[in-house]
Amino acid sequence: MPKHYRPAGKKKEGNAARYMTRSQALKSLQVNLNLFRRLCIVKGIFPREPKKKVKGNHHTYYHVKDISFLQHEPLLEKFREIKTYLKKVQKAKAKKNEELARLLLTRQPTYKLDRLIRERYPTFIDALRDLDDCLTMVHLFAVLPASDRENLEVKRVHNCRRLSHEWQAYISRTHALRKVFVSVKGIYYQAELEGQKITWLTPHAIQQVFTNDVDFGVLLTFLEFYETLLAFINFKLYHSLNVKYPPILDSRLEALAADLYALSRYIDASSRGMTVEPKVDASSSSQSNDRAESELRLAQLQHQLPSSEPGALMHLVADKEVEEDEETRTCKSLFKDLKFFLSREVPRESLLFVLPAFGGIVSWEGEGAPFNEDDDSITHHIIDKPSAGHMYLSREYVQPQWIYDCVNARIILPTEKYLVGRVPPPHLSPFVDNEAEGYVPDYAETIKRLQAAARNDVLPLPGVGKEDLEDPQNLLYAGVMSRTEEAEAAKTKKKMAELEKQYHEELKKEVTGIEVDEEATPMVEEGEGEESVPDASQIEQDTADMPTLMMSRKKKKLYEAMKMGQKKKSESVERIKQRKKNLKADQ
Amino acid sequence: MGKGSKSSRKGKKAWRANISTEDIEDFFEKSTKDALSGGNLSAAPSEELFHVDKSHDIPVKRKIEKNREKVLRCDSVLKKNPFVQVVSSSKPKSKISKKKTNVVERKTPKQAQKNVDDGSVMMDLWGDDNNSGMFSIQKLTSTIPAVEVDPAGCSYNPTAESHEDMLAEAVAQEMQKVYKTELGPEPVPLTIDGDANIEDEAGLLSVCNRIINGKSAYFLGVDNGSEGEEEADAENEVSEAGNKLPRTTKRVTRVVLNKRSRQKALRKLETKEKLKEKISKEIDRFEAPPVQVLLTEEMTGSLRKLKACCTLARDRFKSLEKRGILVPSKNIRR
Repeated sequence: MPKHYRPAGKKKEGNAARYMTRSQALKSLQVNLNLFRRLCIVKGIFPREPKKKVKGNHHTYYHVKDISFLQHEPLLEKFREIKTYLKKVQKAKAKKNEELARLLLTRQPTYKLDRLIRERYPTFIDALRDLDDCLTMVHLFAVLPASDRENLEVKRVHNCRRLSHEWQAYISRTHALRKVFVSVKGIYYQAELEGQKITWLTPHAIQQVFTNDVDFGVLLTFLEFYETLLAFINFKLYHSLNVKYPPILDSRLEALAADLYALSRYIDASSRGMTVEPKVDASSSSQSNDRAESELRLAQLQHQLPSSEPGALMHLVADKEVEEDEETRTCKSLFKDLKFFLSREVPRESLLFVLPAFGGIVSWEGEGAPFNEDDDSITHHIIDKPSAGHMYLSREYVQPQWIYDCVNARIILPTEKYLVGRVPPPHLSPFVDNEAEGYVPDYAETIKRLQAAARNDVLPLPGVGKEDLEDPQNLLYAGVMSRTEEAEAAKTKKKMAELEKQYHEELKKEVTGIEVDEEATPMVEEGEGEESVPDASQIEQDTADMPTLMMSRKKKKLYEAMKMGQKKKSESVERIKQRKKNLKADQ
Repeated sequence: MGKGSKSSRKGKKAWRANISTEDIEDFFEKSTKDALSGGNLSAAPSEELFHVDKSHDIPVKRKIEKNREKVLRCDSVLKKNPFVQVVSSSKPKSKISKKKTNVVERKTPKQAQKNVDDGSVMMDLWGDDNNSGMFSIQKLTSTIPAVEVDPAGCSYNPTAESHEDMLAEAVAQEMQKVYKTELGPEPVPLTIDGDANIEDEAGLLSVCNRIINGKSAYFLGVDNGSEGEEEADAENEVSEAGNKLPRTTKRVTRVVLNKRSRQKALRKLETKEKLKEKISKEIDRFEAPPVQVLLTEEMTGSLRKLKACCTLARDRFKSLEKRGILVPSKNIRR
């Protein structure tokens, strides 16, 4: 029997056998670098860091199993086919046969990523877990300008925009939005779906720029994959609402860039069992225009219906499978009975998303809006100018930050501080857990008090109230409290030990027949008392050390590391407090 | 028969096998044929065999015309042939007209459909969710979240304390860069003042090393050993000639030449290693993106006047690098 032949230089085990460099991978897959990159991104294969880099530090390493996984991918064949097809196009162009080139380009073979999505995310929950990056990318590309240099087509940008609007419409319809944070980078949102917390970032309404240090080819490949993923997710979500996907919207509203509003209307109409007639011709003749207007009026009336009778709508949409838990109900009723009007300079898209997600009714300046500026029932007018022009008396003029802060606090904050022309109080981040940091900013305390007051109104239990109005400063002394507790425990223990000793001694004396010297015992006690002071501290330390003694060395080290982290945090808190004091002193 | 003409003829047995007499028989056959048919062809004069055609009935065509008129058979078949008569159809006329209208109408709905499903067929991908617990996904990037929320100091209207915190961080980042450039080793200049008095090998070598580090093209571009040696010779000659009294250039010995080539190889190795180092430094370093925080002057508290970040693509790219999906590299992509 011939021996099993292994070629010279090929290792059998160890890191050398398990990892290969990128160039080795390319050779084994017989593919060029661009294609390899795209395939890796789309399949979700990433380079790894082996403990020992066999071929040197300046290579990227891939796991051998990953590469062999890639080899059996039918997409590889598809990519190669497309490459050879493009060669035909190139040939036609070189022979100055433009017509043939154009004809060939229309018949280009395409590929679909559906199978890959199913492979990478076998269940819906898995797909939801990866939605963060997907949503951020899609929202970002929805506002980027189309560019030939970066191969970004207008169609793609429009598709991204449509997907992002569909997602926002779903979230606001099911009241799944939980937190909003406006930062310099953009607006962070957090929603909760099926127990998963999904966080994404939306850019501000400013022109985005293409920087030099970003490889847009890579980003576009990611975008391709994420677009398909988001489309499927939207489909599933809309189906759970019994709404047809892809939604066909009123073309007039789309043209007016009121996509979100059109979508919300579509969802309302569909969930109520009505079908919105599809408009095939985007170029509308006069007939279709009239039809559109009458439909618009009809739909507007329907939209007005739920606004006046929220309860009726709940009953109508009885086949809603979404179970409303406590949070959703609070979110839904936050802005109930409030009507908002947005001025021109406020971030319209963001507010149009946030306000209906919390139960409010919105309108804005411009065509196609549900109601006009001079509507009497408007309760709040959102404005960001230094001074409002003509002010109605029946409504309050507030800055947009009021809405975001209300949403984060889940109560209606007093509007005084946010009125027009004033600098509003600081916008706090809802993603920061103030208790955990140990430091609570002033405004957060105010909000807490208001929240407690609101809860008191709802639950008139005096006992509960007192507990709510706890001093948040107490939490800082949590460490100290436990120490005092320990000291107390040590003292009681010591007392118990003393009493035990006394009892034993008395027993002994009884046994030996010596009379109990009552005078001696207090002295003994005192003497013991003197010794007891160090004893108490000793016992205290013992009780503190007890858990550490039982731990293994590894756990002890971990515990000490945790303690160091806590110490650092408390130091930074102290620093912040010191700064605050200094600021106040300067002022 | 099996044996060739040069096989040994030793012994009776060799003679017993047939010695082929084919050539003799062929000759006889030929001569009898020729005699029967009227003479040997090679002996006949050329006038009897060939006839030169000197008639001019068909005009001589030009080569180009000939080529142009050639039509491929497949093309000619497709052309209308006047000799083929049209067969009357067996179907009644009404049916024919219907077919035509169908063709016209089909175009418009197809176009409309194209806009709606532009690729994947929409279906519920996770419809049969219940029996797909068998797949186990490899989660490589679960530790670092994909979208990291900025700390509270990056809010558009932050509290004073958190804002100072973030400013301190941003300043620290910038200062680190400054310190690195200040305290790091001095970058080597591209050119240095040449000392013409360098005569010994050691001095020349040190100068060469310094120049190589500054990436002078003079020594690096050299492939051929001999070329370099010649140049080195020329340098030597010039320098020597320049300083001292003009005398006949010293013949460089073979020993010296070998030494020089060895040192050149060494220098090449050194530069290669340094290049590798540089690349590894580029690859293994992940540069954190700058903190997006407002400057004190920019803090107006107004959302309308907010100087927002317009390079969000970079944030996404850095996040990908941070999670290890992309390998960071310092090269500018364009």
